[in-house]
Amino acid sequence: MKPKIGRALVVGGGISGIRAALDLAETGYGVTLVDRAPHIGGVLSQLDNQFPTNQCGMCKMLPLVERDAGSQYCLRKGLFHENIDIRLSTEVVGIEGEAGSFMVRLREQPRFVDPEKCIGCGECAAVCPVDVADEFNAGLSERKAVYLPVPHMMPNTYVIDPAACTRCGECVTACPTGAIRLFRQGRQDFGVLVVDDEYTVRDSIKEWLVEDGFSVETAGSGEEALDLMKKQPFKMMLLDIKMPGMDGVEVLKKTMETFPDMAVVMMTAYATVETAVEAMKTGAMDYLMKPFDPEDLVSKVIDVYEIQEASRGEEVEAGAVVFCGGTEGYDPSTGKNTFGYKKFPDVVTGLEFERLISGTGPGGGQLVRPSNGEPVRKIAWIQCVGSRDLQTDADFCSGFCCMYAIKEAMLAKEKGPEDLDATIFYMDMRTFGKTFQRFRDSAEKDHAIRFTRGRVHTVYLDEKTGKLMISYPGENSQRIEEAFDMVVLSTGQQPAGGMDKLAQTADFDLNQWGFALAEPFAPSKTKREGIFFGGAFSGPKDIAESVISAGSASLCASVALHSAGRGMAEVTGDAPEYIDVSIQAPKVRVVLCECGSTLPGGIDMKAIAADLKTDPVVENVFTIPRICTTEGWDLLVEKAKAKGYNRLLVGACMPYAHARRLKELGEKVLMNPVLMEVEDIRAPAFRYADAEASYIQKAMERNLRSGISRLRGVDPLPKTSVPVARKALVVGGGIAGMTAALAIADHGYPVTLVENDPELGGNLNWLARTIEGYDVHAFMDSVRQRLEKHPQVTIHVDSSVMSAFGEVGNFFTTIETGSQSSVETLHHGVAIIATGGGEAPANMYSHGENDAIITQKELEQKVSDKQIDVTSMDTVVMIQCAGSREEPRNYCSRVCCASTLKHILHMKKENADLSIYVLYRDMMSYGFSETWFTEARKAGAVFIPYTVDKKPVVSVPGDGSNVKISAYEPLLDANVEINADLLVLATGIVPSLPESLAAAYGAHVDADGFFQEAEPKWRPVDSLKEGVFACGIALSPRSVTESVATAEAAAQRAMRILTKSALSRAGVTARVRQSLCSLCERCIDVCPYGARSIDLDLQKVIVNAAMCQGCGNCASECPNSASVVDGFFDGRMLDMIDMVIE
Amino acid sequence: MEDFEPTIIAFVCNWCTYTAADLAGTSRQSYPTNVRLIRVMCTGMVDPKYIIKAFLEGADAVLVSGCHPGDCHYINGNYKARRRMKLLKAILPQYGFDEKRLKLTWIGASDGIQFARTIRDMVSEIKELGPNEAKHAAVV
Repeated sequence: MKPKIGRALVVGGGISGIRAALDLAETGYGVTLVDRAPHIGGVLSQLDNQFPTNQCGMCKMLPLVERDAGSQYCLRKGLFHENIDIRLSTEVVGIEGEAGSFMVRLREQPRFVDPEKCIGCGECAAVCPVDVADEFNAGLSERKAVYLPVPHMMPNTYVIDPAACTRCGECVTACPTGAIRLFRQGRQDFGVLVVDDEYTVRDSIKEWLVEDGFSVETAGSGEEALDLMKKQPFKMMLLDIKMPGMDGVEVLKKTMETFPDMAVVMMTAYATVETAVEAMKTGAMDYLMKPFDPEDLVSKVIDVYEIQEASRGEEVEAGAVVFCGGTEGYDPSTGKNTFGYKKFPDVVTGLEFERLISGTGPGGGQLVRPSNGEPVRKIAWIQCVGSRDLQTDADFCSGFCCMYAIKEAMLAKEKGPEDLDATIFYMDMRTFGKTFQRFRDSAEKDHAIRFTRGRVHTVYLDEKTGKLMISYPGENSQRIEEAFDMVVLSTGQQPAGGMDKLAQTADFDLNQWGFALAEPFAPSKTKREGIFFGGAFSGPKDIAESVISAGSASLCASVALHSAGRGMAEVTGDAPEYIDVSIQAPKVRVVLCECGSTLPGGIDMKAIAADLKTDPVVENVFTIPRICTTEGWDLLVEKAKAKGYNRLLVGACMPYAHARRLKELGEKVLMNPVLMEVEDIRAPAFRYADAEASYIQKAMERNLRSGISRLRGVDPLPKTSVPVARKALVVGGGIAGMTAALAIADHGYPVTLVENDPELGGNLNWLARTIEGYDVHAFMDSVRQRLEKHPQVTIHVDSSVMSAFGEVGNFFTTIETGSQSSVETLHHGVAIIATGGGEAPANMYSHGENDAIITQKELEQKVSDKQIDVTSMDTVVMIQCAGSREEPRNYCSRVCCASTLKHILHMKKENADLSIYVLYRDMMSYGFSETWFTEARKAGAVFIPYTVDKKPVVSVPGDGSNVKISAYEPLLDANVEINADLLVLATGIVPSLPESLAAAYGAHVDADGFFQEAEPKWRPVDSLKEGVFACGIALSPRSVTESVATAEAAAQRAMRILTKSALSRAGVTARVRQSLCSLCERCIDVCPYGARSIDLDLQKVIVNAAMCQGCGNCASECPNSASVVDGFFDGRMLDMIDMVIE
Repeated sequence: MEDFEPTIIAFVCNWCTYTAADLAGTSRQSYPTNVRLIRVMCTGMVDPKYIIKAFLEGADAVLVSGCHPGDCHYINGNYKARRRMKLLKAILPQYGFDEKRLKLTWIGASDGIQFARTIRDMVSEIKELGPNEAKHAAVV
């Protein structure tokens, strides 16, 4: 039975788009993933290393259950999933309809290179005469006009950059497969009407355009133009605005009435620009400003021609749309550019630095100065370039630059000379994420990276030495000048280009900086139902936050699809029943691609075929001219249809690209795709380019032989599966737990919610308002009421988990309720841990000795109970990081700084004369809360930084007078003493996750007592043990809205499992040959996924087929070869070793 | 000895080094023809007996290469491989194989250049070391 599925559209193929698409695809929906770029991966295709591991690991995002539905190779190489349809170079141009049944209009940019025909040989680029800056290397190297957008990506089809291409046609001639079309031929039929009252203008335009092959008519007035249009058809009109008689705008209006499809470009002088903009609302496509450069004009006409003639529009039905459009990096060459970016070659952006040290970068990974190629010995990072800057209209924090600067500094230390000196100039190091503070500390202590506080305003060049000079205030406010070899600008995130248009098309709002605006407490929801945001589209985010946000958006999309009745209803239609070959002797049929005529001369395919035939296991060998073409593939299908064999080996290029097609082929010929392989015979020709043909031929043959031996050893096993109890358990009834429970229940699956306290709500019970002024209690009540009424939700308050055991699909949890100790055992498929946390105890700064010393939570409560009268106070002091961000609680609690800002603004509103001093280490007002920081300073609050070794000192006088706070003021270089009516301590957050609870589900807690996620970036809400998830503060400190995002993300991860009645076993999975097993249990210890256990009754080691990822560590650990991985049996491996050595 | 072209068997992990090798190929990084790749899911899957088998069959050197520490797709398989290779290097001389013939490296997916460089370096090292004579002498 094939399920009938709903379809979602995901816009943007960066990290969040990939996550959202995969989440939805794994849940069972169909996904159309579009990206306007010619590749997926977004900026991550350019980044090799990510903090805090300083490695990649993006592949860890790939499906873990039902793995075979997706690709099993490096995700930066490409993505394939049977439920995801990827459309590149495609934009969304319209969304009609409503949630559940949108009709989305897509427009694919002109395809000059036919991806079906392109074999990635590169002959086109070799003859292309154009050189332009290569975006992939952030402009540090050059590429051709026909190029590979991401050189390491599959499929490696070339694309043409229409803006750079001169249409010389060299590539068309060079292409061996005839894949390139330049659409020059059709220009004669593309009628252009030029309307201008000045004869010289219209005549010279005509001349330019005729030269480029267009057919052109001219008209001297509006009336004449309208007459001409009646007589003959035009596709495009260039229309002057200011004309005597009927003006351009009127002509436009009349034209639109009769010819609404006409592409009209207005021509205007500066004075009438506003009119031109107005005209665009009436239906003009664009405008050109006079006087114009002939090249601009001609290329505009060519653009329009190509969009009209060569781009393809299409309508796609989708139940929900998720926008994961990402952001753009700030360009420091705009504005005042006091850092000399683009002026001095050694001043680079963070992204350029990443490309410079990348193995695929312009210099092959050598850290050298772009100006002279000498090694970099001294390097500086300047933070907050294009962020936290009112001058660039960026009164927000980009949130990730501090961390990437630290990462880059560490990488520089690793790649550069041993004595490399790395300095980071910063205002606040915003290490607010999980483990970030320790990462920073390690950078400082273990990697000797220098952190210098201060905003650098200028970088200049010392002409004599060629070094870059930075001046900054040192200690005692003395100016220090220092020379550097290289300066990296930590550029921030900006809204992606075209946001206005997209917001109009999709009907969502933008915030004041142009990012997408989400609804209060619903980080992924837009004002339009069925349309959602994921990732940095709605505000700057790092990878982990983007992944969480994408999970939240896909959950919302899934709810929308489900409630529109586009769930998982089953329809008839059988899944393929593959022919059972298990008792047949292996017979391999080999089909070889001749790769057109592009193989080096002297290679004799017939000889290879004849040689292979001597192997008794080979049934027959065929050759096909070119498998990658449609005709070639049809020929292959034909060859595969004829019976007489039970294994198929295809010798071709790009084995990566064939995964999907082999699956289709398998369904056609009813052969398990496990029994088919593509062996790369094209690579030897590339790799051994200098070798003789006979050598390459030998290498090709050797590859094929190893393919044959691999196939010979394949033994497809009957598909086993793990049944799923389609119920969820959520532990913890705070906002995260409630949100997660509701999200799952909204899909129609039963959820049990367990809460320790007698009532639900957790921290929201005492939190009154957010910094934005949203009412927390009203929000909590609405969620609680929905939950309590939900037919699929069972709530156990005053209850706790007594014990639990089990694995994904089948957990058993015993719950104890109340004092009467009623006990109940539940059988459920997934567990979500949302045990939250609370304010850390204040055991410093004399808290408890005086009523005037309170914590932030106490302040919040006293303010809402009106126990504090701010109007009668003179001075308030707030101390940040009281006990936070130093051992043993060496992490940032994220919410305290925003909370401080909230209280400042509130107090200042009540009493404008109140003096407020904030003693802080780094203000963590990341994202848009930076605005509140600016507001608080404007309101007059004084911020005084302190360091851990010079903490403020609080003294409580015995006479009942005011509390005294003494602190070091670095600008004055002196101690200041403040008498405060009120001292507020920001003590941070501690988790309340019992280690035993995590352990009961096979999960772990980290050093600080928070839930240990499987992977901080790629799997931020999962446990390493499948089926266990966490959200909210149990995961790490976070705000209400951020908790909601994690809860939705966790629910989405759970949905992947709950939507299936059973989880099936993947092709490459380990198992145990019980007769050889001595029960030593070493394989159980070594399994990273906890997929193995011992069944004491049966005296057997059991492998959970859904949890096993097929890494084979158990197989090499096993002393008896009892543990084996399908497809990698010892026999087969040894056979292959034999085969490749000859 | 002038003509000696060593045979190198490389066990490469599916996620990192195999991708790097492929990248070296597709980005036309030319490297010596001496290497034969065997793709495994994880370096932690490489049983020491595969390596001994390769030497016995006549390989002049064996390369085991996977993801960087901390980057293993399977969390920690590369650490396990590192442990095993260390032990194997200790016992290889007992079989008569120079431990220099076994090499363990970490080559990430985007390090095509690094892969080509590793192979080049290894070929010149092994050329200096000479052919694996022990394959004839070893008694198993």
